[in-house]
Parts: sequence; C-alpha cells; structure tokens
Amino acid sequence: MHFDWVNILATVIFVSIVVTLILAVASYFAYKVRESRRPKSASDLRQEGQTKAFFNQYNPDQPASEPVVADTK
Amino acid sequence: MDTPEKPVVKKPMNPKLQLIISIAVIVCVVVLTIFLFRYPQKLGPIFVAALVVTLASFLLLLILRHFIVIWFSYLHQRELSTEEAHESYPFVSIIVPAYNEAEVIQSSLSSLLELRYPYYEIIAVDDGSTDGTFERMKEFEGNHYGVRVSVYRKENSGKAETLNYGIRRSKAPIVVCMDSDSRLTADALRYAIAHFKDPHVGAVAGNVKVINRHNIWTKLQALEYIEGLNIVRNAQAYFRSVNVIPGPIGIFRRKAIEATGGYDSDTFAEDFDMTVKILAEGWKIDYEPKAVAYTEAPEELLDIIQQRYRWSRGILQALRKQRHLLTQGSGSITTPLSLWYMIFEGLVWPAMNIFANLFFVWIALLYGMTKLLVLWWMLLTVLDLLIAIHATLMEKESMWLVPYAVLYRFFYILIIDVTKLFATLEELFGLDMSWGKLARKGRI
Repeated sequence: MHFDWVNILATVIFVSIVVTLILAVASYFAYKVRESRRPKSASDLRQEGQTKAFFNQYNPDQPASEPVVADTK
Repeated sequence: MDTPEKPVVKKPMNPKLQLIISIAVIVCVVVLTIFLFRYPQKLGPIFVAALVVTLASFLLLLILRHFIVIWFSYLHQRELSTEEAHESYPFVSIIVPAYNEAEVIQSSLSSLLELRYPYYEIIAVDDGSTDGTFERMKEFEGNHYGVRVSVYRKENSGKAETLNYGIRRSKAPIVVCMDSDSRLTADALRYAIAHFKDPHVGAVAGNVKVINRHNIWTKLQALEYIEGLNIVRNAQAYFRSVNVIPGPIGIFRRKAIEATGGYDSDTFAEDFDMTVKILAEGWKIDYEPKAVAYTEAPEELLDIIQQRYRWSRGILQALRKQRHLLTQGSGSITTPLSLWYMIFEGLVWPAMNIFANLFFVWIALLYGMTKLLVLWWMLLTVLDLLIAIHATLMEKESMWLVPYAVLYRFFYILIIDVTKLFATLEELFGLDMSWGKLARKGRI
C-alpha cells in the first residue's frame, strides 16, 4: 500500500495547530470563568475600597488568628 | 511572591462600548472567514504569493532573532569567563517579602542560611498573611552563625510596598530582592557581587530555573526559562541593558534603588517597572548565569495562563507608564532599544505567531502546497531543537529537556501567545484585573 506521507504529515500539522489554538482559547475563557467565581479575598476587597463586613469564621483545628498590627517586629 | 496589590491602571471602559467593540470584532472575523472559505479563488495568485513572502519573512525573522540572541549571549559568556574574581565582599541585605507562603517560607529561609557569602543579613517581611507565614518566619529570627535574621510584619499592602519596607530597614550598600517561593544556590551571591566592580552597574539579574519538573507543563516551562528567558538576558547583558530583573533573584546597588524612589505599586509587574526605572536613571544592568535561583512554576494550565496574563498586562502597564523612554532613553540608545524589544516580544510577536501558524497552514492546504508546509514545519522544528541543545549545553542542564522543544513551538508557545494576545486586548480596553494568588505546592 502506498502512503502519501507528505499529505498525512501536513494534515497532522494542520489539525494539531487548530486543536492547540482551540484549546488555548478555551483555556483562557476557563481561566476567566474561574477568576470570576473565585471568592474575593481581603486584598481584592481592599482594592475595590470595600472592607469585610463580618467576622472571620472560627476554625477549631487552627490557632486563632491574631489581629494584624502594622509595623510589628 | 504573588502578593495582591492595587493596580493603578486607567479607568475601565464603558461596558456597553466594550460589548459593541467585542461584537464588531467577532462579526468582522466571522465575515472574513466565510469570505475566505467560500471564495478562495478570488484571492488570486498575487495574494497567495504575498502570503508566502510574508511567511517566509516571518521564518527569516525568527532565524535572525535566534542568531542575534545566540551570538551576543556567546559574546557575554566569553566576557564572563575572562573576568577576574571579586576582591572584596560588601555587606548584603537579602529582602524576603511573603504573603501566604507558609508552605515554602521555611525552605526558602533555610536555603538563605546556607549561602557561601561572608557578610550578609536576612530581612523577612510578612505582608499581612493569614496562613501562619509570620509564625513560621518567626522561628528563624535571631543570629545564625553570624547571619542576622530580622522578621517583620505589616498590614497587607502588596509586594512593592513590602519590598520597600524591607529595603528601608536595611543599611547595606547591596540589596538582594527575592521571592519567598524561591531558593538561592549557595554561591549565587558571590558570583553576582563581582559585577558591581563596575561603578556604573546598578543591578544584576540572576538566573531563574524551574525546580518542580514533574509534569509536561513544568518541563516545558523549565525549557522556556532556559531557552526563552535566560539566553535573551545573557544577550542583553552584553550591552549591560537587561530589560527584566526577575522577581526570584535581583541584586541591586542601594544607590540605584534610592535614585528610582523604590518600587511602585501602580503596575502588576513591579520587577519590570523597577528595571525600566533603573535603566532610565542611566545605570547599567548586568546578568550573572551562575547566580541561580530555583522557583516553583505553576503545575496546571490554568495557573500558567493566570501567571502569564498578569505578566503581560503588568509589562504593558509599565511600558505605558514609561512610554517617554521609548523615544528619549537616558542618553544611551540601549534603553529605548531594550523597551522596543519588549514591545516586539510581548505584543507584535505573539500576534504574528498565531496568525502565521493559522493562515500559513490553511493557505498551504487550500492551494495544495503541502510540501511547503511540511518543509516549513521541519525547518522550525530543527531550529528549535538546535536552540534547545545550545541552551541546555550552555546552562549545563539535563538533555532530557531537549525533546520537549518539538512541543514547545507548536503547542506551548501558541497557548502562551493566545493568552498574551487576550491580555493585550484587555489592557488596551482597560478591563479590570486582580492579582490572583497562585496556590503553592511546597516543592522548593
């Protein structure tokens, strides 16, 4: 059987480039969706000029967090 | 360190206007695609010939770019091998900023205590972490065989402010700024300090390598750091105009930092911003390949995209801020050239790469130029393999990274370039963005 290697290779190259580009665009949008769903951290709220309205959740497995004091050595 | 901070970027665009522009772009692309697929014969032989010439120029440009980079990196490497050892070792302060780095901070500080350098101190600053980073840092506070470790805690205000906070508490003439997720090699400082013999050198960029080479993504990034970033820095260092001092290891002359007024918090790429400011003040910036810092690279695709998105937009923000330097420089032609190169690499090249790949492949198949397509692909692959061999040999790296060069251009770089393109568009439209903290796996 005769194989046209050039055509097969060209098709493989074409398909891999197209699939990679589709994957890249899809991944980018997946990243944007992940970012939009990510709960806002204190720093994000600070960035937007908001402050936390509620207390931090108490987790008995971890030591209670100390209040942050500026310039503490 | 990936610390959240406030971007002082221009006001976001009106959402309605954004929507109209996005729809217009999509409609244009769809119409153009339908036209090209439906009426390929209307393109005519002139169009095809023009396209082939354009893509041949693209290939030529790529080869030329590689050749220039390799040649100057070789010249710099030759200069380094003839340089004499440094006679004196000035006192050095190492600033370690950290935000929620509990997983890696102790490993990072331990590596700093093992440095083979006679006279240095460590200043660790916690940027208001909530994961116990400060408590882990505190365990290191004190004197360790002549190395003083000072630990500070401040309210969360971002990486730039945290670095400035540490620098203000240091008295040393040389300051090392690093990331808390990095690990310096024992002789990194000794090699880097030698460059400060030249009184015009304001900073030295170190050599960053990926430590967590567990999966295909981190192996591709390891190759990218060696082939795409370090060789370029080596070439730029021949002109003493390195255009990015990497976050994981930057060694600065205190006077140079003071001249710039310290790190600014108004971009997402404070390391690039600082580099440009130092160049603008007329200082030279060198590169030391033996000053190695290992860093933990993102292990998943979405994390890589997140990191590159931030880098791209940060670089554009810094370039916009310092745009006057694109034409003026600081008396030296190398500063504007260095910045134009950054625009080329960050903006022009990704767009060219995506469209060249897509259109060349499509036109080649449409007009039966499959042989040309295969030849083009083979040429690029051989070129990439040669560059990878050269880079791994120069850096004395594992040759097992070389085969990844085949995937590098046609797979990895395309994904990165698409991210860069989107990031550029979003920056041009002034869309909001957040820092986006990467989760550490504790690999260092």
